[in-house]
Amino acid sequence: MSTSTPKENLVMEHLVSLTYSEELTPILERYVDALIDGRIVGHKCPSCGRVYVPGKGYCPICVVPTTDADEVEVGDHGTLTGFTIITPVAYYGQTETEPFVYASVLLDGSDSNLGGQEVVGVPHDKLRSGMRLRAVWKPKSERSAEGVSNRGWGSVSSVIDAFEPSGEPDKDRAEYEEHIF
Amino acid sequence: MAATDIAVVGYAQTPSTRRARESEVQLLVPIVTEALQRAGLDRREVGFTCAGSCDYLTGGPFAFVSNLEAAGAWPPISESHVEMDGAWAMYEAWVRLQHGDIDTALVFGSGKSSPSKPEEMWAQQLDPYYLAPLGVDPASLAGIQARALLDAGKATERDFANVVVRSRRNAKDNPNAQVAGDFSVDELLAEPYVRAPLRKHDLPPISDGAVAVVLARGDRARALCKRPAWIRGLDHRIEVHQPGMRDLTTSTSTALAARKAGYDGGPLDVIELSSTFSPQELILRDALGVDADANVNPSGGPLAANPVMATGLVRIVEVARRIVEGSASRGLAHATGGQVLQHNLVCLMEGD
Amino acid sequence: MSQPRIVESTLEFPYSRTLGPVVGAFLSGLREHRILGIRTRAGKVLVPPLEYDPNTGDALDELVEVGPQGTVTSWTWVDEPTPKHPLDRPFAFALVTPDGAATAMVHAVDAGSIDRMSTGMRVQPRWRAEPHNMIDDLACWEPAS
Repeated sequence: MSTSTPKENLVMEHLVSLTYSEELTPILERYVDALIDGRIVGHKCPSCGRVYVPGKGYCPICVVPTTDADEVEVGDHGTLTGFTIITPVAYYGQTETEPFVYASVLLDGSDSNLGGQEVVGVPHDKLRSGMRLRAVWKPKSERSAEGVSNRGWGSVSSVIDAFEPSGEPDKDRAEYEEHIF
Repeated sequence: MAATDIAVVGYAQTPSTRRARESEVQLLVPIVTEALQRAGLDRREVGFTCAGSCDYLTGGPFAFVSNLEAAGAWPPISESHVEMDGAWAMYEAWVRLQHGDIDTALVFGSGKSSPSKPEEMWAQQLDPYYLAPLGVDPASLAGIQARALLDAGKATERDFANVVVRSRRNAKDNPNAQVAGDFSVDELLAEPYVRAPLRKHDLPPISDGAVAVVLARGDRARALCKRPAWIRGLDHRIEVHQPGMRDLTTSTSTALAARKAGYDGGPLDVIELSSTFSPQELILRDALGVDADANVNPSGGPLAANPVMATGLVRIVEVARRIVEGSASRGLAHATGGQVLQHNLVCLMEGD
Repeated sequence: MSQPRIVESTLEFPYSRTLGPVVGAFLSGLREHRILGIRTRAGKVLVPPLEYDPNTGDALDELVEVGPQGTVTSWTWVDEPTPKHPLDRPFAFALVTPDGAATAMVHAVDAGSIDRMSTGMRVQPRWRAEPHNMIDDLACWEPAS
């Protein structure tokens, strides 16, 4: 028996949900221990001297391994190298409702930006690249490893609530333009 | 007409482990370096780079971009990526080399299966309308395939166990293997089923690992390697996706890929097959028409180590290494993609 | 050194898939407790139906009702279902060829015990009480009564 095609234009709703579970790498273990202790550490490439926060275990420019022996501490003050103001639209998983800052912060002594940072204590229309910022740390008892994973770009959100203006004079663009991301 | 003067001149692989503490890029950095060093090639001289990995497996969108750091991608390099086994990354590099304007290429494949639940994750590889919502897992499909093989009278459960015994025995000589040892068929057949008629040992281990290969063309290959493993033919073919729309007891695509790669049925010193489940070795042997006493999976094969996204490229390395080292003159490597041997690649290699 | 920290992350992809004239018709059919296949130019009926003949590339549009009963052409037994499987108790994944079809579809068979499973066994569909436009509107197959 043949049947005609129904006119109904069906849509299938399918939520794919996948959970991953893994041990932090030894480098990230040390990184999180330091964060909870109030210190931000990275790896300094023994070849080119660039500092990556957190350490990767190698330098992506020189492709040489880095180890605990290459660990260095960087500052919790830094420079805003780029930002956008995100006006959230409602989509699955979006919890923000108000416009918020999404900023890249180059910590003093680091060559890699912390991406996706919140900046507080300054109106959005006063934000500018080059402005100096400092970390607003959570109380020690509230710091954790949450949000740090072996993938992605590293995170400080489980220990640092946001960045705020430090009051230091702005950096000249020439001082950070190699680090804009 | 495909060029036949492209060869494997360098290679390296990590041992396969159930759970690597390093990140996927950390697994890649030392082996990319080692493969280039073996070929005596500076990474800045590499003409083209191609990688194979799977972001779903790693659990990180754009994880493949991080993996590229292992190649040293600044200043920007000429590169590409396939969301497939590294063997298909090598296929792309082999095609790219035939343009004739470059003479070296770097290829790698990597995967960490340990963070995910592979039996749940791999359903996302399937038809999103008819199969993925049922959570159909690779082992279940392999179980259906195994039953079809038994029903067709083409194999017995004892044949499956024999494949496992030989794979694990061979793996004793492979420092990169994860499962190795001496077992008897009878003790394996006494084990319970996990996807009847398959037992746990008929399934591959869950592995983390990575592999890298350096290809070179013509005189450059001869300059970089005393005895290059020449790629005489390389071909891949695919079959219909729905498992109920093809004969699961044969591998038409493997047979065709082998023919297109120039395999004429002649003697092979080494054969490495991506037989991820033990019955698949029987299907692949049949498709290739190899002798019963052929030297199949001397490394132990995927039943001894299955670093998904690298498994197929490891097969190519295991054949190439034996040619480069002089213990083999002619060999065939096979890689597979999709489920129950849907997509198959055959690489025929020879020494001078 | 202390125990390494275990980090968990969950990726979610909420897909809304438009289904088109063939898959849409098939899933519409399941709501009405009918199984549809599609006829190729050679006269074979493909189940589940595809928009094309995978062997020839021909566009297909002649939907045909098949079943409701079918025959198990191969199967495996799942002792410990994953949370993504359609049943939460031991079951078979099987290839089932509905009566009148030339091909088989992968689905679950709720047989209760591996001892009730065999190649060639006859099965009938069990329908989901509240259809939701997914393949498991055909909840599973069960041994034919």
